[in-house]
Amino acid sequence: MSESRDRASRPSVGDATVGSAIGFLRRLRSGLEAGAELPVALGSAVASLPQGARDGVERVVGRRSGDYQEDDWGFDEEFAEAVFPLLEAMYDRWWRVEAEGAEKVPAHGRSLLVANHAGILPWDATMMSVALMRHHPLPRYPRFLVLNWAFDLPYVSVVMRKVGGVPASPHNAERLLHDDQLVAVFPEGVKGAGKDFRDRYRLQRFGRGGFVELALRTGAPITPVAVVGSEEIYPKLGDNRLLARLTGAPYFPITPTFPLLGPLGAVPLPSKWRIEFCEPIETAQYGAERADDRRLVLELSERVQETIQRKLYENLVKRGSAFV
Amino acid sequence: MAGRRVLITGVSTPLGMQLARRLEADEDVKYVAGLDSKQPTGRLDRTDFIEADIREPSELAVIARTRVDTVVHNNILRRPRSGMTSQTAHDINVIGSLQLLAACEKADTIRSIVVRGSAGIYGSEPAAPQFFTEEMSRLYPLRTRFQRDVGEIENYFAGYARRRPGVTCTMLRYQPAIGTSLDTQVTRYLAQPLVPTYLGFDPRLQFVHEDDGLEALIAAVKRPVRGAVNVASRGTIGLTRLLRMAGKPTLPLPPQLFGAATASMQRLGMPALSADFQRLLRYGRGVDLARLTDEVGFRPRFSTAEAVADYLRGRDAAAPAASGHEASVPP
Repeated sequence: MSESRDRASRPSVGDATVGSAIGFLRRLRSGLEAGAELPVALGSAVASLPQGARDGVERVVGRRSGDYQEDDWGFDEEFAEAVFPLLEAMYDRWWRVEAEGAEKVPAHGRSLLVANHAGILPWDATMMSVALMRHHPLPRYPRFLVLNWAFDLPYVSVVMRKVGGVPASPHNAERLLHDDQLVAVFPEGVKGAGKDFRDRYRLQRFGRGGFVELALRTGAPITPVAVVGSEEIYPKLGDNRLLARLTGAPYFPITPTFPLLGPLGAVPLPSKWRIEFCEPIETAQYGAERADDRRLVLELSERVQETIQRKLYENLVKRGSAFV
Repeated sequence: MAGRRVLITGVSTPLGMQLARRLEADEDVKYVAGLDSKQPTGRLDRTDFIEADIREPSELAVIARTRVDTVVHNNILRRPRSGMTSQTAHDINVIGSLQLLAACEKADTIRSIVVRGSAGIYGSEPAAPQFFTEEMSRLYPLRTRFQRDVGEIENYFAGYARRRPGVTCTMLRYQPAIGTSLDTQVTRYLAQPLVPTYLGFDPRLQFVHEDDGLEALIAAVKRPVRGAVNVASRGTIGLTRLLRMAGKPTLPLPPQLFGAATASMQRLGMPALSADFQRLLRYGRGVDLARLTDEVGFRPRFSTAEAVADYLRGRDAAAPAASGHEASVPP
């Protein structure tokens, strides 16, 4: 491949004065006219580009011919890396996130992140990813469980699985933990996703403590995470039962911008965020068989919930006003 | 294990014939019988061919006389054969399995029954577990006719296994198969000049390479285990990546139009896509292989991505330079 590129680039030395973009297009066209298929023509036209751009285009060409990896869960690291700058821009400019305690998250092995949540789209999970990738000494992409309904949405479902989203099922979570992954869960579930604006940062009941059972069964430590800011990005004022039933959604939110502005209503508001990772709670010492011990499960579940709730209030005070 | 006597139903299918040849070559197997409604196209040496319609009890009476200890039920159709109505396919699958079991009741030599069933019983669901394990077959309602057929077949065999504790019933749940010697929904789908997909969906798919499918069947005959066992090649592949590897132009269709559009393409000579396959193209499906590797003791040789790549290589070798693709790449 590199040999053929060298050979193809030799005649292009004379074109050095031409702008690289024009040179690229010219070579692309001549390649196509010579009867080559698009990926091949693109491949040879790349030779006239500067190195940086050349790598970028080669990756795109490679992807176009199916030359990329997705793991068994559909996570696509190359894709995740490609959208990372976009998420970083949201992190820095849009939400001005301040993160604290990222280094407390276990650096390797199975581990559970438990956080508060509002809204269907997992923006909070992606911002937690950015915080960990930036501030953790041994960064890794967390996998996060996403409300099932979102996996029936075109495009959204594909992007989510490519950046590490997995349908929220205990089977999936347990398997990921057995694979020694870092897994983010939002135990408020649908109740959290459909939270009203006036209930923001008031944690809903943590189900029946299913996430604790998971942690006990797999011996994974639980790291509580408080996310402040994420519950103001889609201020839900009410919902429409009829439209929810028509669209098959768990609820149909009415926000100041949705459905008034149509798809633009999906643009999250630029609130100011704080993410605090708390001290991990070890569970390995209890043993897997205690997963059926209701008392222990509810006790740990309450402990996690209280920690997150307390940290939410603390960080709300630290943050001050929501949008400026 | 020596001196085994094996009967294979659906012996005239490519997989049935491959299995018969392998068992013929196996010195532990003393006797091989093959049952089908039509003669096999290839040559079989010492297989005792029984021409019988699996739906007809009178024609299955010979099973008791073969005195076999193992029955491999390889006659469950994933889709109606050409010129066959879906009603006939349903009869062959459900009534055929029922009659086969009735015939097995009368044969007291039988020690194990291996069924080549389908992972279709799990369905394809947007929020499904990413890897179904064997006990998850009733997580979702059975939505399509084929799924309900598979559900009934599994019930029959489970009932038989309960009543006859001396017989080991293995229900192999196969993911869709891929391979150059096969003519399956997957290979037909990939052979289209323009491939319809669901707009905005990129399901994770899992196939079984034809070699893995055959080896798993042989492994299950050699070492039968009770209950269901998933069979597939390792891991999954995204549909988009698969179609890019195949170099196929796609026709993304909005989900609301997909059924109608593919039905009209069918009138233009494109292959029909079954309801199961359509759901697969939208939501995909993956299965867990722990039981296959740990209990049956067979580790698939291919990953799904390798199975696809192998299939594409074989297909391109069969039709050389048809696309001119190879010729345009400098050496």
